[in-house]
Amino acid sequence: MNQQLAGYAPTPVAARMENHGRTMLKVAMASGQDLYARTGSMVSYEGYITYEPNPPAARQVAQQWATGEGAPIMKCSGDGLLYLADYGADVVVINLQNDSISVNGTNLLAFDAHLQWGVERVKGLAKFAGQGLFNVEIAGTGWVALTSRGTPIVVDCGRGDDETYVDPDALVAWSPALKVKGKRSFKASSLIGRGSGEAFQMAFSGQGIVVVQPSEDSTDRLRIRG
Amino acid sequence: MAREFQRGHKAKISDLTAGTDLYVGVQISAPGLTFDISCFGLDAEERLSDDRYFVFFNQPKTPEESVQLLGAQSGDTESFRVTLDRIPANIHKLSFTATIDGAGQMSQIGPGHLRIVAGGEEVARYAFTGSEFSTERAVMLGDFYLKDVWRFAAVGQGFDGGLDALLRNFGGEVAEEEPAVQQQAAAPGFAPPPQAATPPAFGAPAAPAPAFGAPQAPAPAFGAPQAPTPPPAPAQPVHATPTMVAPVAPAPVPPPAPAPAPYGQQPPQQPQYGPVPGQYPGQGQPPQAPYGQAPAPYGQAAPAPYGQQPPYGQQPGVPQGVPQGVPATGAGLAAALAPYKETATGARWTPQNQQLMRVDLAMGGTPVLARQGSMVMYQGKVDFSHKGAGFTGRIVGNATGQEMQLMRCTGRGQLFLAEEGAHLHPIELQGDGICVSAESVLAFDESLQYEVRRIEGHGIPGGALFTMQFQGTGTIVVKTHGVPVVLPVTPTTFADCNAVVAWSSASQVILSSQVRLRRNAYPGHSGETVNLQFRGAPGNFIVVQPYEV
Repeated sequence: MNQQLAGYAPTPVAARMENHGRTMLKVAMASGQDLYARTGSMVSYEGYITYEPNPPAARQVAQQWATGEGAPIMKCSGDGLLYLADYGADVVVINLQNDSISVNGTNLLAFDAHLQWGVERVKGLAKFAGQGLFNVEIAGTGWVALTSRGTPIVVDCGRGDDETYVDPDALVAWSPALKVKGKRSFKASSLIGRGSGEAFQMAFSGQGIVVVQPSEDSTDRLRIRG
Repeated sequence: MAREFQRGHKAKISDLTAGTDLYVGVQISAPGLTFDISCFGLDAEERLSDDRYFVFFNQPKTPEESVQLLGAQSGDTESFRVTLDRIPANIHKLSFTATIDGAGQMSQIGPGHLRIVAGGEEVARYAFTGSEFSTERAVMLGDFYLKDVWRFAAVGQGFDGGLDALLRNFGGEVAEEEPAVQQQAAAPGFAPPPQAATPPAFGAPAAPAPAFGAPQAPAPAFGAPQAPTPPPAPAQPVHATPTMVAPVAPAPVPPPAPAPAPYGQQPPQQPQYGPVPGQYPGQGQPPQAPYGQAPAPYGQAAPAPYGQQPPYGQQPGVPQGVPQGVPATGAGLAAALAPYKETATGARWTPQNQQLMRVDLAMGGTPVLARQGSMVMYQGKVDFSHKGAGFTGRIVGNATGQEMQLMRCTGRGQLFLAEEGAHLHPIELQGDGICVSAESVLAFDESLQYEVRRIEGHGIPGGALFTMQFQGTGTIVVKTHGVPVVLPVTPTTFADCNAVVAWSSASQVILSSQVRLRRNAYPGHSGETVNLQFRGAPGNFIVVQPYEV
């Protein structure tokens, strides 16, 4: 029986964070190197790892995110191998080398605790859905893992004079250096039930990248279930 | 996902992926055998006219780095990075081969594969097993070859003679055959005795996957400390050194690197977690046993289970406790995201990956009609407006269920369309027609005409089936849940009416109901009662998705 399953055995650990398949993240944990991960994203671990939901440190930073019930982040510490996943979403591992990236709150899976991070509410953008759009800005040198529903695409802004417009539901991450603003593409006709379905976009301008997922499903599955 | 190839199958690379930066992974293994996997860059006469294009462990890349050896990773015994558009013009073929180092024959190998990964996604896989071979000692697994465009062929042809026969086949000269063969002979020679069972210089390759369930491999392989094998992670630097600098590479423990060793290099051990549950928390195993050695891996030394073992970062706070190797793609934000970069071709419709479609509205000039809400991003000036179906259209739509909520996208700019991560397939119509169920249409050129077509038959709930028929010249993007199958229409082609997505409109659709007496007398009848049968001239096709709406 194991013969058929052998292909799914973990590969040798080569880095702090790695993909196991497309949709699972493998993190090599060691004491002293804590990790912040989305609450409820752990699917398995091997070794001695402890979890602290809503840690005080995170509470400070993520004050804005906390909508009463605390930030949906847990601190993982210990030794061993930790496997994280978000309901079959693709996982993208990024090794920051003194870079910074702004990630949509629901698309963040895990990041090294020693990175600098902060939670911001994107100004001027209250999503009609209710929870608002939060993004986590992460900077420094270390590892970050994002999730994306489907294979994401990375687009360079600042190729021309034109701005890049993104459906907020499909947005995954962007360079913090970009200027962001909301754009309403309402027309009078939209008000009488003839909308194009694209009423609202985020406009990015400047030099940097935007990561977009091929799905407008931005439901926070981890949170809904938790 | 990946397209499955059989021996002899061929395909254009451009049909598999839009990208030209490919990862080729080969997994081949057999208990106790080691393999040398290499890539030959051949000229138009299928000769190895330039030995710099023989990429193997001793020559990990071609001069302009169009073919690079990456080492073992992600379950592959060996992997290459191939940048098609950098391959020089005199190279017409890249042949990927595997040869057994030492004694043995190909019939011993377990299930293996050659796969192509582009943009982080596996696009092709050619699987093989030892039963396809006999006494061969070398095998040509697959080729990239240039015939107008780059194509991929699954070859699977064996050679009895091993690497030298292979070299001779490619017109390699004795001069280069010598060093190559010598090195292979040399490799196991200087390997320290305990390592005998592990592959010589490449270390990691053969060990992981195959041995997992196979009882024969474990014992000799990791009874001895495995640390000497160089960690597989930072592929290039490691592989650049191995056999040339004999004493350095496989001999001692490389000081900063041992971290990767304990976990990964002995996956064969994992099954043993199960059988010995009792030993788990703290039963006295000699504490000095290194993590990977004893069958109860966690067992020893409960008080400081991890801390005292070298593999797991003894000094808290020291960043080296965990492997800090960089991913194969390189370090940094840009490198991590490079596989997902936008691919720009000159075409109007460009699939960015399986789930995202880019339309360049400036090209061609006709507006695009897309399903409402399917825009995920756009650059430039694009205007979205409601596209009404018209009065009759609404009536027909309501009555038939074949209604599309569309928006018209006009302007000059690039528009990215996707919906719910569904797989997207652009179909270019040149005067011909295609029938698509309305809910499977993502977008199409406004130049196409479409109408609702009715398929009559008994036994369908509601009395009849309706589809949209598209005709004219232009492109239509069809979405499917999951990887679809495209079947040629034969005299006996049937499909579930809920799973069929599209068919070429020249084929004729008949309804076939399975009439069975007392069908409902059985509580568990098959549920497959109404099927669509397709008839048509050769060349017609149907598209079926693995999802019944």
